[in-house]
Amino acid sequence: MKLDDKSSGDVKIVLPEGRLDASSSDELKVKIDGLISEGCRKIVVNFEGVEYISSSGHRVMLASLKQLRKTGGDLKLASLKPYVRETFEIAGFTQLFEIYDGEDEAVAEFGK
Amino acid sequence: MSGSLLLDLIDKICVIVVAAYLITRTRRFSEVLDGKLTPKNQGALILIFGAFSVFGTVSGVEIAGVIANVRDLGPMIGGLVGGPLVGLGAGLIGGGYRYLLGGFTGLPCSIATVLAGVFGGAVYLLNQRKFVGIRGAVVFSVFVETFHMLLVLLISEPYSEALMVVRETGIPMIASNSIGMLIFAFMISNLMKERDTAQERDEYFDELEKKKLELNIAREIQQSFLPETVPLLKGFDLAATSHPAKEVGGDFYDFIPISENKMGLVIADVSGKSVPAALFMVLSRAMVKASATGNPTALEVAKKANDLIAADAKSGMFVTLFYAILDQEARTLRYVNAGHNPPLVLNGVTGDLTLLKTRGIAMGVMDDAEMEEREIEIGEGDVVVFYTGGATEAVDERFNQFGVERLVETVRKNGHLPAAGLVEKIIDEVLAFSRDAPQFDDITLMVLKGEKKG
Repeated sequence: MKLDDKSSGDVKIVLPEGRLDASSSDELKVKIDGLISEGCRKIVVNFEGVEYISSSGHRVMLASLKQLRKTGGDLKLASLKPYVRETFEIAGFTQLFEIYDGEDEAVAEFGK
Repeated sequence: MSGSLLLDLIDKICVIVVAAYLITRTRRFSEVLDGKLTPKNQGALILIFGAFSVFGTVSGVEIAGVIANVRDLGPMIGGLVGGPLVGLGAGLIGGGYRYLLGGFTGLPCSIATVLAGVFGGAVYLLNQRKFVGIRGAVVFSVFVETFHMLLVLLISEPYSEALMVVRETGIPMIASNSIGMLIFAFMISNLMKERDTAQERDEYFDELEKKKLELNIAREIQQSFLPETVPLLKGFDLAATSHPAKEVGGDFYDFIPISENKMGLVIADVSGKSVPAALFMVLSRAMVKASATGNPTALEVAKKANDLIAADAKSGMFVTLFYAILDQEARTLRYVNAGHNPPLVLNGVTGDLTLLKTRGIAMGVMDDAEMEEREIEIGEGDVVVFYTGGATEAVDERFNQFGVERLVETVRKNGHLPAAGLVEKIIDEVLAFSRDAPQFDDITLMVLKGEKKG
């Protein structure tokens, strides 16, 4: 899968694209783990390009969230397509993650 | 350079090609390429390249009483491939033989051969105990032969004759040794590439084999922990099945008898794939069963199971789980939905569709998660379909999902079938929809139908 990342101040933005299934979730995990081990504590995952997310994808989000919050950081989600958002809602994860309509809002929230 | 000398050199090159081929294919040689510099391997290479050096002398072409030859080639390669000891050993054999032949260039020529091997070994060490590559080896051989010529000029007496020898044989010596080196280096580097590819291929197949084995293990774990039979209920028809995907997820369903009239029903989907998911499925299933002993409410079971699972959940593992207690007497279903796809209820009379949602979150995510219990009545002709993501997320070749709507439609059309028939029908429809597209996730289904009150 295509998996870009960029920076905005001390916030890292990860942009996965396509289907977040078992194998592409592994790639995403490697990417986010890499950012965390580099010392990054503020991460936004922009879901604009994600059509589908499986439970493996949810798991990567959850593991990263737990790891970041444990060390005073956070993971915020942005631009979820309706289907992807629904999967987060069904699993009850909307009460756990901070979800924003746009990437800029999510990044700005870190500044507050 | 005379014509016959050139022909002789070509002749020798042919011999070198054959020798290079044979030498590089020996077991000792390939072990040394692997870095296995055992005394045995080193000894073997010393003998091989020493002999090759002697052959270089013997097969040399005599010019003005001096032999233009590839004597240095064996020790050089020995050194470049096997280190200083191999280079020195081969050099001593080749150089010693040359020294015994005598002649006014005997001393510098034999010293040059010994040093050729030692220099080769030094290059090997400088290159982190690896073969230096084709270009490096050829450049090296040009240097060594040039150095050889300088030694002759320095040591041999009288100088004028030495100068003549160098004039006559210098270029052919440098050329023939470089060409010989090119042939050897080319074969060595080909051999190394071949071996790398073979190794990569082996690793790839090993990995594939391992993955296959893992998937088989996961499938066996999963299947062996699913109920073998479906309990008979009073006034209800129940059926369930799990159709494992190629890459097994951790779906499961379970029936937990609670009292004479009450039956616990579970359907769940563990995050992730393969063995970790299957093991987490076993754990979750046991926790739910343990939590359901006594006669607790659905909410109590769900809360307790969640706390037990959360205590063991590492690296973000979680399980979405729907737990319901069917009361066959009161004909009610009391349920808690912990982040699972909401089961569908189709009313047998009105055809209305209800989704069994409650407040809740997947189990294992957080301690003390807030959950909620709800109740629904199940009348005659009502159909409840419990399912996992594998059913609705199955895709066709264009990644269109089967989706909840198609599922509802299938249930509506086939509501008259008995529970087992409906389960089979839904699986057929999902598989027909995804046809040639690979099935990514287990399809797990449980159907409960209200029958005439028994």
